[in-house]
Amino acid sequence: MARFVTVAKADSIQPGQMIKVEIDNFPIAVANVEGTFHAFDDTCTHEDCSLADGELVRTAVVCPCHFAEFDVRNGAVLVAPATVPLKVYPVRVQGNDLQVEF
Amino acid sequence: MASASTIAIVGASLTGQSAAATLREEGFDGRVVLVGAEPQLPYDRPPLSKNYLRGGMPFEKTLLRPPEFYRERQIETRLGTTVVRVDVEKRALQLDGGDRLEFDNVLIATGGRNRRFPIPGLDLPGVYDLRTVADADRIRDAIVRGGRAVVVGMGFIGAEVAASMRQCGLEVTAIEPFKTPLYRALGEDIGLVVEGLHRDHGVTLILGDAVAAFEGKGRVERVVTRDGRRIECALAVFGLGIEPVTELVAGTGVSVDNGIVVDDHCRTNVPGVFAAGDVANHYHPVCGRQMRVEHWQNGIKQGAAAARSMLGRGQPYDEVHWFWSDQYDANIQYAGFHAAWDAVVVRGSLAERKFLAFYMAEGRVESVVAVNQGRDLRRTLPIIKARVAIDPARLADPNVDLRTLAPSERPA
Repeated sequence: MARFVTVAKADSIQPGQMIKVEIDNFPIAVANVEGTFHAFDDTCTHEDCSLADGELVRTAVVCPCHFAEFDVRNGAVLVAPATVPLKVYPVRVQGNDLQVEF
Repeated sequence: MASASTIAIVGASLTGQSAAATLREEGFDGRVVLVGAEPQLPYDRPPLSKNYLRGGMPFEKTLLRPPEFYRERQIETRLGTTVVRVDVEKRALQLDGGDRLEFDNVLIATGGRNRRFPIPGLDLPGVYDLRTVADADRIRDAIVRGGRAVVVGMGFIGAEVAASMRQCGLEVTAIEPFKTPLYRALGEDIGLVVEGLHRDHGVTLILGDAVAAFEGKGRVERVVTRDGRRIECALAVFGLGIEPVTELVAGTGVSVDNGIVVDDHCRTNVPGVFAAGDVANHYHPVCGRQMRVEHWQNGIKQGAAAARSMLGRGQPYDEVHWFWSDQYDANIQYAGFHAAWDAVVVRGSLAERKFLAFYMAEGRVESVVAVNQGRDLRRTLPIIKARVAIDPARLADPNVDLRTLAPSERPA
C-alpha cells in the first residue's frame, strides 16, 4: 500500500538543492525547484549512479556519471545516454514535514 | 529544402543515428538513408568494454533506438553494407554489392577502425581487439573460458577491459610502454592514480615495456615482451588506438588529413559532403584549431550539428569535448582540449581518488580530469570555454564554488 512517508523537514532543502533519502532502504532523491518539491528514484536508469550527487538545473537533474538528464517533474529523459524514464513520486508538505508517497 | 532530396549517411552508429534523428526532428521530409557496415542497428559502444563485456547487459539494451524508431520516421537502413566510394561528381555512393545510391547531401560518419601493428602472432586465435559487438562477444567467450589474460596498451580501452576482466575474476597482466596507464592523455601525476587503482584491484602492471610477439601453437599461449618477459596467457586483448576510416573518399578531392577535414559546420571542402564524429578532423572555434576526437559526446552532438548544417540551419559547433571512463568504482571524466600543459592544479584528494585535476597552459584551464567528481567537472565546462586566466589557488580550494570562476555567461 502506498502511503505518505515523512522524509525530511521541508525547510532543510533550499531552492536549487537536492537530498537523498531512503524509504524502506530504497534510495529516493528530493529536489526543491523554486519552492516546489519533486521526488524521484535516486538511481539513474542508465548506470546506477546517485542522481542526488548530480546537478539540479532548473527542472532538470543531471547525472554526475554520464550527464544523462531527466525532467524531475515527470521523469522524462531529456538527454542521453539514459533511454529509460525515471520513476517519480507524489510529494506533499504537512506543516514542515516533507512527505513522499511510496 | 525540397522534399525530393536525399540525404545519405555513411556509418550507422552513434553519430549517424543522431544525424538521422535530428533531420526528422528538424522537419526534413526527404529521403534519409543510413548505411552501416555492421549488420546491427546503431548500438552504444561504451558498454562493450564494461557492462556488456562482463555479461551484465543483453545486446538489445545497447541499441541506441528501438527498431520502430527508424520505421516510424521513415529512416531507411542499409546494414551490413560497406560504402566503397563516394562518387562526388555524380553524387552517388558506390556500395560493396555493386549498387549505387544517389544523394543530394552526404554525411560521412564512418568512425574509425582499430590500429594494427606488425607484431608477430597478432593474428593468432586468442588475440583480440575491441571495436564492435562481434569483437566483444569473442572476448566475452574467452573470458568465460577463463585463464590468465594479457592486456596490451593501457589507454582507455585497455584500462576498461583490464578492469572488466578483473571484475570477472580473471588474472590480468597489463603491458604499457609508457610510465603509467593513460600517460599520454593524463600525464604522470594522474596516470599514477590510475596505476594505483589497477594495482589495488589486482592487475599486474608491466610499465615501460612493450610487446614483441604473441606466441603459441595454433592459439596464443604467451606474450613475449621487448625486455624479454614471457607471460603465459589464455587470451590477450590489445588496445592500440584507432585510425579514421577515410578510404571511401580517397582520390575524390575531399580533403583528408588525420580524418576528413571539416570546418565548424561539419562541411568538407566539397559542397554537399559533410563529416562528423570520430572520422571528422574538425575546426574548433573555441581553441581556434583543427582537432579529431573519439568521444561519445562528440559523436552524438556533432552528428546533430551536421544534420542541421545540411539543412542550412547550422551553428558553429563549439561544444567543450567531454568523455567518461568507468573503471571498477572509479568514474573518470575528462573535459576540454588536449594540449601541452605547463602545470596541473589538483582540487581534492589523489590518495582518496576523489578529485579534479586542472591542466593549465599560460594560466588558462585547457582541460580537466575528474575522478568521482562528475558534478564539479560539469561546473568547469564554462571555465574551459572562457579561455581566460584563472587563479589556480581558487581552482584548488574546495570551498570556492566553481560556478563563480568563469566570466559571466555570454548573453543568450
